[in-house]
Amino acid sequence: MNNPMTRRKLFQILSAAGLGPAFASRVVADESEHKTKKIPEIQPIPVENLPRYPAFIRDGKVIQPERPLPVFQETDVLVVGGGAAGWAAAVSAARAGAKTMIVERYGCFGGLWTGGIVLVVISTHATENGQMLQVVRGIGGELLDRHAKFDNAIVNRGETKFNPTTDPEATMFLMDEMIQEAKVKTLFHCWATDVIMDGGAVRGVVFDSKAGRQAILAKAVVDTTGDGDIFAAAGAEHEQRLHAIGLVHRLGNVDRADHAALKKAGYKSLGAIEPQPSVRWVNLRGPSANGLDINELTRLQFEHRNKIWNHVQKMRKTPGGEKLFLLQTAPQIGVRTTRLLAGTHQLTYKESREPRKFPDTIAVGGAQNSKHAGWPIPYGVMLPKKLDGLLTAGRSISMDDKLVEDGRLIGACLTTGHAAGAAAAVAMKDGCRLRDVSIPKLQKLLREQGAYLG
Amino acid sequence: MTTGSNGRGKRLRATGRWLALVASVALVLPWWVIPVPLASFSPLVAACSALATQTVGFIVLLGVPVLALVLLSPRWFCRYACPVGLLLELQGKLRPKAALRWLQWPFICRLLAVLTLGGACMGYPFFIWLDPLAIFSGFFSAWRTPLTVASVCAGLALPAALLVDLLLPKVWCSRLCPLGGLQELLVLGGRRLRQLLRRERPDHEHPARLGRRSFLVACIGAAAGAATRTAQGQTPPLRPPGALDETRFTGVCVRCGSCVRVCPSRILRPDLGEHGLAGLFAPVVRFTEGYCRENCHRCNMVCPSGAITRLSLDEKRRRVIGPALVDLDLCLLANGQECTTCIRACPYEALTIQEIAGGLSVKPLLDLAKCTGCGACELACPTSPRPAIFVLPKPSVLKAS
Repeated sequence: MNNPMTRRKLFQILSAAGLGPAFASRVVADESEHKTKKIPEIQPIPVENLPRYPAFIRDGKVIQPERPLPVFQETDVLVVGGGAAGWAAAVSAARAGAKTMIVERYGCFGGLWTGGIVLVVISTHATENGQMLQVVRGIGGELLDRHAKFDNAIVNRGETKFNPTTDPEATMFLMDEMIQEAKVKTLFHCWATDVIMDGGAVRGVVFDSKAGRQAILAKAVVDTTGDGDIFAAAGAEHEQRLHAIGLVHRLGNVDRADHAALKKAGYKSLGAIEPQPSVRWVNLRGPSANGLDINELTRLQFEHRNKIWNHVQKMRKTPGGEKLFLLQTAPQIGVRTTRLLAGTHQLTYKESREPRKFPDTIAVGGAQNSKHAGWPIPYGVMLPKKLDGLLTAGRSISMDDKLVEDGRLIGACLTTGHAAGAAAAVAMKDGCRLRDVSIPKLQKLLREQGAYLG
Repeated sequence: MTTGSNGRGKRLRATGRWLALVASVALVLPWWVIPVPLASFSPLVAACSALATQTVGFIVLLGVPVLALVLLSPRWFCRYACPVGLLLELQGKLRPKAALRWLQWPFICRLLAVLTLGGACMGYPFFIWLDPLAIFSGFFSAWRTPLTVASVCAGLALPAALLVDLLLPKVWCSRLCPLGGLQELLVLGGRRLRQLLRRERPDHEHPARLGRRSFLVACIGAAAGAATRTAQGQTPPLRPPGALDETRFTGVCVRCGSCVRVCPSRILRPDLGEHGLAGLFAPVVRFTEGYCRENCHRCNMVCPSGAITRLSLDEKRRRVIGPALVDLDLCLLANGQECTTCIRACPYEALTIQEIAGGLSVKPLLDLAKCTGCGACELACPTSPRPAIFVLPKPSVLKAS
């Protein structure tokens, strides 16, 4: 590109040399292209001369100076984290008429479902009175339904089937589609790092991005970071857990492998089926670790990737497995549980296994296999004991250790997320605090949006 | 005999019988109030239980006073206390009088009693399930179980006795009931003893024959009992916690259904002979509706015969129904799925996750020292059509290891 002779100049020289007619049409086409695409790929733009507040060292301590933050936007409902729960919350709140915004640290919706390649939506169904029924309905149910319009987008879905597996690309596409239809203001590549407090209430969040540190002001914040980053920053009472941290990977070319020969060599199964042909999904549970410890996360990322690579190489050297290849390790490491809110109602495993209806039921969790009854989830699991202006949904709701295994699954995240979004929308409409939301109104809205409340 | 002759004695007798019936029903119905099984008041059950289990516990001692009183007044139990006897007598009053055509019949009841006691010596009392208190109790138990052929049969023993009595009046009590037979044997034995003590010649008008024939029958019973014990086998079913070993259990169990009735999880049901005829109608454990709760030892408290050992809650929590086993081919966790259902369901924390293949895979690990075979895991396991984790009967595992 540093060559001073452009194509136009070359043609000018050539036409001047008498070859014009031969290239005439070409020249015209080029002219029209240039008319529509005037901006070159690389061009100078002015450097923004914003005030800078770098940290500095004073008395041996790194000090962050006090500074005013630019407010990126003001909104009614702000959802932090675009995983299954956050996405459902944003769509629900926006559909109910609230001015809604969502901030996501990566470039897609779905969180661990898509970015973590978890793919299997467990506990979508439950059995009540001897009949299997779908409990993941409403926003999440609609998303699953929309997969059906594409080939190879979803498997294990239908009358008698449960726990479908989706194609991550299809899921990401459909999540984009639904959030844009609902006109939710979306910010990708932004990581909420702190909370804006106004007395005992949350008034918004501070987020970091390539555009520097900025603020978003909101009347209600839904913490769907999964790790409870926002309620922890706001000082809400919470608990912290270790859990297995793993990494999912996918095998390619599975149809061209000799399964019988591999089985003989000790590879019992190549993994679970996926909507895409010849691709298999493989889980790696991993050891129990602290998902908030960056050193641990880094160590496990190294370890898991190394382990998976060597494992697949070994399979490729096994007769029958030569054509297999490692299609992908998940972009996001599989953190299962970290912080859990201490909510106004801590739902216990025992309560879930002797199901009873709560007056404030806002969702119903499914059974892992659809064999057992669903478990009603009360509004209190997402409501902090003291903090105002914030709800949590997804895997950080208030529950005991044993129930985490059900509550952290995608199905429950979709339904609790949906409920949190609807609750925030009702609070906006009524101008009340989140803890004063009228339960009948919330339940009515959820039912209107198709949710199953038992 | 003397009490029945005058009016006051008759009234007294009637009152006593009604009280006994009410008490019997009370013992059958509110299992949470009185953890004493009705059938344990039967001396036949007590004697067989003591012989077969070779232990004398609280339950056995309940039958002793009844036994002792028999020596003072023959068949007083039948006339004053037996609820089945009262029901039969009531039925007799409603029906026109009929000739007692069976009067020349032999005393089958004595043979049954001797045969049963002989079998009990070898751990298999044959006709103990004909005990009237067991029959009465079994009638009430049938209502508590899911409707199966077995439960219907177990509940039909009392109506069957009533039917027999309708066709042949009074034959049940005087010729068939083994508890009656036992009482008669005791009376005869007592009389013979007195005769021997007074050095009298045997009274030929009322011969107290207890000797050779009874001994022979008892020997036959013992031999048959021993044969039954060795003849059992194939796949024994799961038995309630604290049950005796399989062969003794099927013999000692009186089929009163008390355990089936009191089980809050409804995991006990009468066996319809799927596991051999020896165990017909004895309780088997199935984890289709519930599991053996960690806070319950009702079946241990209500067994009248000692087939299920009387255990405190603490002791029962340490008794093993059978060890659980994981089928790793079916197990979701071992196949890369996010399932910890059994691990969470286990009340004894006997299951953990174990890494295998260098951490690439995991599987559930069962601590047999903690597992009681309560079936909570089997009940919870999501795989179908059969669970990936299930409780095995004890002996088959012993064979395998």
